[in-house]
Amino acid sequence: MEIIVCLKQVVDPELPARDFAIDPATLRQIREGRPLVISTYDENALEAALQLKDQSGAKVTALTIGPGAAVGDAVRLALAMGADEAVVVDEPRAPELLGVEKAALLECAIRRIGHVDLVLLGCESADWVERVVGPLLAEALGAACVTFVSRIAAADGQLLVRRTADDGFHHLEVRPPAVLTVTSDEAIRPRLPKVKDIMGARRKLVQTWARADLDAPGGRGARAVEVRDVSVPARTARCEFLPGEPAEQAAALVQRLRDLKLL
Amino acid sequence: MNFDLSEEHRLIQTTVREFAAKVIQPVAAELDHAPRFPAEVIARAAELGLLGLVVPEAYGGAGLDGLAYVVAQEELARASAGVQTIITVNNSLVCDPILRFGREEQKRFYLPRLARGEWLGCYCLTEPEAGSDAMALRTRAEWRDGTWVLNGQKIFVTNGVEARVCIVYARTEAIPGARGLSAFIVEKTHPGIRVGRVEKKLGITCSSTAEIVLDECRVPAENLLGERGQGAAVALSTLDGGRIGIAAQALGIARACLEESASYAQQRVQFGRPIKAFQAVQWALADMATRIEAARLLTYRAAWLRDRGERCAAEAAMAKLVASETAMWAAHRAVQLFGGYGYIQEYPVERYFRDAKITEIYEGTSEIQRLVISRQLLGWH
Amino acid sequence: MGEVLIVATALDGPLARTSLELLAAARALGPGAEADAVLVGHGPGFAGAAETLRRHGAAAVFRCDHPALTAGQTDAVLAAVEQVLRVQQPRVLLVSADTIGRELAPRLAYRLGAALLTECVEVSAVEGGGIVARRQIYGGRALATLAAGNGPVVISVKPHAFEVPEPAAVAGKVEDVAVDIDPAALPARVREVVREQAEVGLEEAPVVVGGGRGLGSVEGFTMLTQLASLLGGAVGASRPPTDAGWVPVSWQIGQTGKTIRPALYIAVGISGATQHVAGVTGSRTIVAINRDPEAPIFSVAHLGIVGDYREVIPAIINKVKEAQGG
Repeated sequence: MEIIVCLKQVVDPELPARDFAIDPATLRQIREGRPLVISTYDENALEAALQLKDQSGAKVTALTIGPGAAVGDAVRLALAMGADEAVVVDEPRAPELLGVEKAALLECAIRRIGHVDLVLLGCESADWVERVVGPLLAEALGAACVTFVSRIAAADGQLLVRRTADDGFHHLEVRPPAVLTVTSDEAIRPRLPKVKDIMGARRKLVQTWARADLDAPGGRGARAVEVRDVSVPARTARCEFLPGEPAEQAAALVQRLRDLKLL
Repeated sequence: MNFDLSEEHRLIQTTVREFAAKVIQPVAAELDHAPRFPAEVIARAAELGLLGLVVPEAYGGAGLDGLAYVVAQEELARASAGVQTIITVNNSLVCDPILRFGREEQKRFYLPRLARGEWLGCYCLTEPEAGSDAMALRTRAEWRDGTWVLNGQKIFVTNGVEARVCIVYARTEAIPGARGLSAFIVEKTHPGIRVGRVEKKLGITCSSTAEIVLDECRVPAENLLGERGQGAAVALSTLDGGRIGIAAQALGIARACLEESASYAQQRVQFGRPIKAFQAVQWALADMATRIEAARLLTYRAAWLRDRGERCAAEAAMAKLVASETAMWAAHRAVQLFGGYGYIQEYPVERYFRDAKITEIYEGTSEIQRLVISRQLLGWH
Repeated sequence: MGEVLIVATALDGPLARTSLELLAAARALGPGAEADAVLVGHGPGFAGAAETLRRHGAAAVFRCDHPALTAGQTDAVLAAVEQVLRVQQPRVLLVSADTIGRELAPRLAYRLGAALLTECVEVSAVEGGGIVARRQIYGGRALATLAAGNGPVVISVKPHAFEVPEPAAVAGKVEDVAVDIDPAALPARVREVVREQAEVGLEEAPVVVGGGRGLGSVEGFTMLTQLASLLGGAVGASRPPTDAGWVPVSWQIGQTGKTIRPALYIAVGISGATQHVAGVTGSRTIVAINRDPEAPIFSVAHLGIVGDYREVIPAIINKVKEAQGG
């Protein structure tokens, strides 16, 4: 089975609030000097891919779009965790592109990679949380689509997946090729890379393509929208810590709740 | 001069840091207060490749350089010096001499098992009458009826209880001092070796410290490590690496003191302000950070020299000396900063204080380190 | 042929509440905006769904009843809706960003070549025919305003961002549409639906008590349930307890979970990752209880208690009982 995992590099979503700022020129989060990580659910997607590889011997290719100089750490980690190869689409404007454009670029890169049975990516990116790339990619590739998947198994040429729903789970049988977006679950917590695999990552193939190297997307598909504004609401709440032993803290809390007419 | 860690080094650092935070940190206090061998932690460390970090991949190790090793050890010690002691001894004092002095068959047999954590290793040098004066050791190894027979008593052996593989130094020649010694790889399954007394210690309590007794212990010829009479060279070369490992351990402990103290200074309010507002506290933290940085640079440089195959005995001694004294000083300062809470086991600094002390003693006391350094400066007396 | 078409679902259950919320979103697109609905579903409860839609303001309801239109069958819903769309050709398609909707909206936008606005919490029409929408980004730290020009647009609406509108029937009709779906040909087919015991009213509860990884184990939730009952509220969780299977996924509060806006939210053993905080910042008063004084939750909480919940929660329970005259 050939699996492609799409990884997006984002500014660490757990950045302290004081380091969060929007660039008024690009209307995106300022990245300079901030730590970059692989988007949360993309890591779960990678782990799910690696588990399929462990169980049934798939080949896993990590695919990422980003400014070539910035994605090195993400690629290295993916290869160290166990991905066999990596493809980087070097696009300096990547942090500004929204889902519709990202999906179009990914489609072109995947077509160039060639045969693929399964594309995995996070159910949402940790930054803009649009939740569109997976389904758009499925349409573009003519593939089956299930989102918010928390378990995947391969059996008899089909994929058995468990989708996390608002009120429980759906178990589905999916005919490849398929695009599945992955949500978190204890069973797919991303593994720590083994130290020797960190060193070994150097020897794995990483191809870098410029946007110009890819065939232009067909012009079909959803249309991008315009970002008119990004505003940061002022946060004025200051936390009042209730001091003392648990009994005193509890008494103070109950008093405050009474004052607020919540009790 | 490039002071940056390479990208691989940084990824190793973050990976080991995450492992330490997720797997070691949650049990660190409990392992110290109710000491036991942390089997499950060591097993997971082995899975990641932490028990054979500098063993080449061809022998089942992670193939790291000495600098990457130092980075990894600091991260482990930051979480628990006790756990890190177990790991560093396996790496520096057992895998390393086998790698440097072993024959191909010995490397092929022992290194993969040590690297994957199937067997743990220990280092048997010190004796009741031979501590700082290690070269005066008395354990004998006689060649008799086609086998080596060892007799003697080794003390303060880290991993003594759990180890299967023991690097044992014994006197094979009728020559006193360093020139009469040879090194052996002894397995616990060889007849005549047993674990004696197990010590209770001030700190690093989850790592076992035991007496190893050799009573007509029969060791096959092929278990000689290095050449006959080369024992001192094996010991000293191993100690260079070991000292760098201990320097890294001390860095981890010192950094734990700094981070906990800084965090406490933000939260602890006295006289209407967080105590970080007071200059005495600010200066203490500044001194801690500065001395740690200085110790770290010395340690990195010693590792760098050793990786290049250059002479580094004095630099390794400097690193160990400065790092261990920094850790002890930082731990002392940290307990003081925490005040009454620093004395209570619920807070980690009292453990750092107890753990730090050993770094000034083992693998050569601070006094011995000064001897090594002054000899290089002034020549032998 | 109306300007606005909503996708309403009653997939082997009654009409989804979020479908009615879409009618409110449709009204936000302009006072005169009339919305038609394509209703997909099957099974008990489906019979009355069209009337409910009409009662709340849907003009024409295009009803698609087919055994394949059941819970989780996105591909079947897609086929049915697409069939109606090709005929009706609305300017704006409104979909709820629920389990099915989040797969449906982008795929429909792709097939129609329409602009795509997802996870919206506000929508409005502007002069000249454009649509403007707003949504939360960066874990709720920022708000984006997006605009789609003229031309077709697909909008997915965040559940509960709009209230169910007051009943207000308009002139219209219900039209049954025969849809052609071969269940065996669907690329993704639902084999089984597992419903978990839902945390009733998490999104409506005036008080919510949330538990996180800091509880240490599922047993901690017993204490929280007790406190929640005393306060007349509901219990929820951050991501780690639901990932670990301690509590049902329907208890999850956060970016990938429910968004709540209670008068009081008490976060216990929750570190305050932005992913979770995104789901609770609408709460009027946030109380955080955590052992770690540096936990990020304290930067969004109004009242903070640093301590072990195993001591603090029982103390609070006692004090609440006293205050209630028990």
